[in-house]
Amino acid sequence: MERREILLGNGAIALGIVESGCQVVTAYPGTPSSEIIPEVVRFVKTGGFNTYVEWSTNEKVGLDTAFAASISGKRAACCMKQVGLNVAADSLMSCAYLGTVGGLVIISCDEPMPHSSATEQDTRSMAKFAKVPVLDPSTPQEAREMVGVAFSLSEEFRVPVILRPAVRVCHARQSITYGPMVEGGRKADFRKNPDRWAATPRFRLTLHAELNEKGIEIGKRFDRLSAHNFHDLKPGKQYPLGIIAGGVPYAVLRDILREEDRTDIPVLKLGAPYPFPESLTSDFLSACEKVLVVEETDAFIEYLIRDRHKVLGRLSGHIPREGELLPQVIHRKVSDVLSELGQQSLKEEESVMAMAVVKELGLPVRKPTLCPGCPHRAAFFAIRKALPKAIITSDIGCYTLGINMGAVDTILDMGAAITMAAGFYHSFEQDGVAQPIVSTIGDSTFFHSGTSGLLNAVYNGAKFILVIMDNLTTAMTGMQPTPALGIRADGSKGKAISLEKTVIGCGVEFMEVVDSYDLEKMNEVLKKASAYVNDPGGGIAVIIARHPCLIAYREKAIPEKKKVLITDDCVECNFCIEHFECPAIFQDQELGRTSINQQICSGCGVCLSVCPTGAIVEAA
Amino acid sequence: MNTINLVLCGLGGQGILFMTKALSQAAIQKGYDVMGAETHGMAQRGGSVVSHLRLGDVQGSLVLPGSAQLVLALEENEGYKNLPFVAPAGRLFVNTSSPAFPNKKVKDYLDAKGIQCRGVPASSIAIAMGTPMSSNLALLGYFSASANDPFSHEDLRLVIQQISPDRLKEKNLMVFDAGFDRGMEEKKTLKA
Ligand code: SF4
Ligand code: SF4
Repeated sequence: MERREILLGNGAIALGIVESGCQVVTAYPGTPSSEIIPEVVRFVKTGGFNTYVEWSTNEKVGLDTAFAASISGKRAACCMKQVGLNVAADSLMSCAYLGTVGGLVIISCDEPMPHSSATEQDTRSMAKFAKVPVLDPSTPQEAREMVGVAFSLSEEFRVPVILRPAVRVCHARQSITYGPMVEGGRKADFRKNPDRWAATPRFRLTLHAELNEKGIEIGKRFDRLSAHNFHDLKPGKQYPLGIIAGGVPYAVLRDILREEDRTDIPVLKLGAPYPFPESLTSDFLSACEKVLVVEETDAFIEYLIRDRHKVLGRLSGHIPREGELLPQVIHRKVSDVLSELGQQSLKEEESVMAMAVVKELGLPVRKPTLCPGCPHRAAFFAIRKALPKAIITSDIGCYTLGINMGAVDTILDMGAAITMAAGFYHSFEQDGVAQPIVSTIGDSTFFHSGTSGLLNAVYNGAKFILVIMDNLTTAMTGMQPTPALGIRADGSKGKAISLEKTVIGCGVEFMEVVDSYDLEKMNEVLKKASAYVNDPGGGIAVIIARHPCLIAYREKAIPEKKKVLITDDCVECNFCIEHFECPAIFQDQELGRTSINQQICSGCGVCLSVCPTGAIVEAA
Repeated sequence: MNTINLVLCGLGGQGILFMTKALSQAAIQKGYDVMGAETHGMAQRGGSVVSHLRLGDVQGSLVLPGSAQLVLALEENEGYKNLPFVAPAGRLFVNTSSPAFPNKKVKDYLDAKGIQCRGVPASSIAIAMGTPMSSNLALLGYFSASANDPFSHEDLRLVIQQISPDRLKEKNLMVFDAGFDRGMEEKKTLKA
């Protein structure tokens, strides 16, 4: 029976994965990819399939796992965000050489205008770097179809294939129709072949040659007109301007041109841009005087066009070199190019006047903040208070928002809170300076890539305080379980990994566990830790600041709600607002005083020990 | 069928995703093709959150500014920020209790473009119903009082019933109804 459902793009991708008979699915959560796994689990459960699904501890681990499934003859997928592919790059580069048996599809989700990412990098460039094919969907429905195409390609050419949906596909919603699915029923069948699967450098040259050969063949395939690479040129006609687009910008462009009935502008859509469809592109170029390339997030197609004398795009400055290509941006840029070429431009934008009105209002920018009652806020506050001179290295997760409290000095990549703390230590120590350093990392990030840095830091004698902010979940990306919980991706029971034992296992000799809400205790332990770090025989002091995330655990995170209010003792020093930054504490413009917004106050009671004049009290 | 564009906005945690779900569910039940865009990730922690919803034969998930027939805002400033999305003669519903709404400059613009704008005390309604976090339902209820094709009060109410988790169903409908009642009242006074 057919079903019609509104799916998130990530749900459509999950549908494509399950529909393709994929038997092993791995992932590490990261915006905008995080919802793929829960949706896979949902489809698998509905179908009653025995698909293996896991939250891996990091992306490289996930890809290695999926690769082994592939060379056992099964279809396997590994999902991540674009910067996750950097972590998995070691695996990617090598498995491109080794090749696949069962289809191996890597789904790496890009985020132009990096709302929740460290960079705007373009996964298509990573695909080219690894010399593997990449597909670039424009809509959730196309992403679903492309997953199937990717599996077939991967099996036909024995190469991993990358699907790179951008955020506007992952987090788009579309009504999608689907029917019953069939379980992939292949049995694991690993055929030993050390020349390939354990290739030594001697054989790698042969494998490289094979990979290059595959690239040429796939390029020819992509050169054919297909459902994903096509144009609407009329035979024999010459055009003043044509547009090449792929991915999300194609969808936007298609809507704009249809809305304005601009059939005079031909479009070449490249949904399969690499290996580059050379002749398809050059045919298109020959039919046009000028060609504008509209692509995200980097110049990729534009670089691959060898003769660029007709080409306009990011490199020529006709398309912005960074940021998201929103509909209004594409609308304006296409219009500009049209008028530059003396062609009829697009319709005047309706919104220009409104933009000016809004600008004049000078509205405040709403920064994201830690939730009211967030345990991270308490931990950061204690750290800032106990060690005001410390360099605080931090990491990637909700606690990045500690930056609003002045409690985050560095963010580099996953795990860098620990590795950079070690780097700072050695740099200062070399000069004989005892610089206090506090490293802050979340529980999930610690399991992702904290341990190797910690091992290194202990081994090489670094000395700093490491606060592991353990909120018992992966909060930022939507509350996925961590290894410490022993709950697996499908909700079943796994083996819980003790954070404490892991820390001790890394060779750490000072470790204390504190409830993050207990500011006093935290202060005391920080002082103790600091003494240990400064002791000639000391080392790295680990404090596990533990308290459940409020969003994940709701009532359970605050067993005893406190009603707090601000008395007349308040001297309006603004200390709590500036240094504690709980969104529930605000300057009430009407009353002209600092107040507590009882609607959003969580009742955590942490602020009770924050006010220097003791004006924040518990209601009798 | 012409494209219908909607923009829903507010702050992270106000339940924009739920509103989006309700409206898109109502549209799909009417046989529309639905395309939409949501904000996930960092901004959900109290930052500006926007959902776009497009009904019809479209591929892009984002609304082009100046082309949304309807904008629903759960917070006044977010409503202002998204003003550029409202199409001429479109409609704008903003959750606010401020008597000074809309701002004078904004009002001039709205009049010039023939945009119909309503300030809705959705938060007050939600607080009065004992569920301060449900201003989204109050606003939706209010809107349903003057909803036009493809939405109708009955359909929206049914959808709320369908998509609310069991433990919240009753409360959600109460707040939705309270919003609707307020919408009906004001519709009458406007006519009178
Ligand atoms: S989601 Fe949890 S961890 Fe993240 S800011 Fe809110 S309370 Fe803190
Ligand atoms: S009790 Fe204090 S710190 Fe906790 S949420 Fe309420 S105002 Fe914020």
